[in-house]
Amino acid sequence: MALVEIRDVHKTFGKVEVLKGVSLDVQEGEIVTIIGRSGSGKSTLLRCINALESVDAGEIRVEGLKVHARMPDLKKFRQRVGIVFQAFNLFPHLKVERNITLAPLLTGRIDKAKARALAADVLTRVGLADKIDAWPEQLSGGQQQRVAIARCLAMAPHLMLFDEVTSALDPELVGEVLKVMEAMAKQGMTMILVTHEMGFARNVANRIVFMHQGRVWEQGPPAKLFANPETPELASFIASAK
Amino acid sequence: MRSFSLIDFVSLFAALRWTVALVALALAFGAPLALGLALGRISRFAGLRWAMAACIQVIQSVPLLGLLFFFYFGMPVFLGIQVPALIAVTVAYTLYTAAFLGEIWRGGLEAVKQAQWEAGACLGLSAWQQFRHIIAPQALRLSLPPTVGFLVQLIKGTSLASILGFVELARAGQVVSAATFQPLLTYALVAAIYFALCLPLTLWSRSLEARLDGSR
Amino acid sequence: MNFLPLWRYQNQLIDGAIVTLELTVISALAGLVIGIAGAVALKGRITPVRWLVRGYIELFRNTPSLIQIFIVFFVLPNFGLKLPAFEAAAVALSLYFGAYSVEIIRAGLDSIPRSQVEAGQCLGLSGWQVFRHIILPPALRNAYPAVTSQFVLLLLGTSLASQVAADELFHVAGFIESRTYRSFEVYAVICAVYFAMAMSFKALFAIIGLAAFRWPRRR
Repeated sequence: MALVEIRDVHKTFGKVEVLKGVSLDVQEGEIVTIIGRSGSGKSTLLRCINALESVDAGEIRVEGLKVHARMPDLKKFRQRVGIVFQAFNLFPHLKVERNITLAPLLTGRIDKAKARALAADVLTRVGLADKIDAWPEQLSGGQQQRVAIARCLAMAPHLMLFDEVTSALDPELVGEVLKVMEAMAKQGMTMILVTHEMGFARNVANRIVFMHQGRVWEQGPPAKLFANPETPELASFIASAK
Repeated sequence: MRSFSLIDFVSLFAALRWTVALVALALAFGAPLALGLALGRISRFAGLRWAMAACIQVIQSVPLLGLLFFFYFGMPVFLGIQVPALIAVTVAYTLYTAAFLGEIWRGGLEAVKQAQWEAGACLGLSAWQQFRHIIAPQALRLSLPPTVGFLVQLIKGTSLASILGFVELARAGQVVSAATFQPLLTYALVAAIYFALCLPLTLWSRSLEARLDGSR
Repeated sequence: MNFLPLWRYQNQLIDGAIVTLELTVISALAGLVIGIAGAVALKGRITPVRWLVRGYIELFRNTPSLIQIFIVFFVLPNFGLKLPAFEAAAVALSLYFGAYSVEIIRAGLDSIPRSQVEAGQCLGLSGWQVFRHIILPPALRNAYPAVTSQFVLLLLGTSLASQVAADELFHVAGFIESRTYRSFEVYAVICAVYFAMAMSFKALFAIIGLAAFRWPRRR
């Protein structure tokens, strides 16, 4: 059984059909990168996977559980699926430590005595152990994004979603975030990413999914997809992304 | 005792002219003063900035009723001369208006970026020309919503002149209420007239605000 | 100018100031409760309730506080609700302060971007946990300056209660004036007392603000 099963998902905003029947499986330990032009529905698909958006038709299952906004264990489910956003979305009124430990403490995953050690541990994994007592606003964009990743890691998720996590960063800060993600990939984390970073897609992903006009247009291993795109749409997308 | 009649109705509306007159006087004298205060608050001279800030702070930290009583009852005694009631009241409302508008306009002036002054200076404009043609129009746009909002406060504030015997709207209400023994009807009517004056301004202020937010 | 004749009235002045403070604090607390309830109602889904709250806000923001006090004091007795001066003023001022508070608190809650809520939900927090830990602290900070300046305006506005003879500071002023005929000195002193109280509250609020909201502002 695949970790994530997406079956014929449709989603409409107002009059615009953003997803027109998307099907996709993601196996445990797989790194799947979704690419495509803006408006192709890739971010919406990602947000559907952890029920930030509800699907109009079709279904999404994660670890066999059907995902929707009214699922009985939504909160438990979301603790197992981490998501990192384009705009970091750190909580500005909480120090880095508290940003990380708030959810584990409130959801009863850990007790107070272990909280700081947990924060220190995940911060070490993103290379920011020395920032444990900083305020988010004191950090650079790249550092904030790494803290956001650490915040997800603290929940020990089974699956991580990344929604254009480097798009809001200055170019010189992109590398440090990608390095952290690469390290996570090597440790076997299942990851689904929406990204414009073609280098990362090529070197780290197991599989590329090209979305176009609300559909999965073409997919396959990066080497094959980038070298021999089957559809003219993908070919022109790759050409324009260079 | 008599019943509430057309005369009472008319006298309430007639009292409106004092409400309007007080607002007009307060704005006529208060607005130029407010501009002076606002400019003083952004002046290069620290002493002037301080003095203006202190003036505004004092007036904003004293009840409007206190200002009115001070100038109406207190000042004539102190000066030892007869001060016409209208002048005393006008002074109080003028200071009140100057302090609040001054602070609002200072906010507007400060919200215009420093770079705009510099851009004006680079074009060889004098300080006054920079202010007049570059800064003031932008600041005016920014501070228009709160300025209109303050106008509502001022209109409501003129009701306090009733306490000093001015037969503006609120006072006319008291008179009519006492004559007709119909406080419910009278005060409801008075409130309704104020409401009809203020609501359009409030709504206007809010729509100006929304338009500013939209264009930002 | 001679302030000495006022000296023997210092006890009355202090008593008046205490009543003014009581009136201010009671009205502010009641008004904040109204403000929170109103803001929640405005965010709610029940349309008639939203209209009711909107109507309340507009009614109380667009009519003079003085008239509101008069209506509570002079008109409500016609309906069998006869309140003493202090209570009547407290009711009117609470409703007045409440009308402003609703807008301030609603604006504070609205200032928190939707993405913050989503980030909380995605970490598996409940609706209440998101509100309590993620929305509320920054919303409070954003509403704080407006609430505190409205509080100072309320403090000054309690002087209107003198017009229904609630024995607060301004009413005491009238009493002393009628005894001493020293209008200038009396109203100078009264204004100074209000000024001192207003400045003290501003200083207190500034200190509380610094202590409560320590995180750096967004750049």
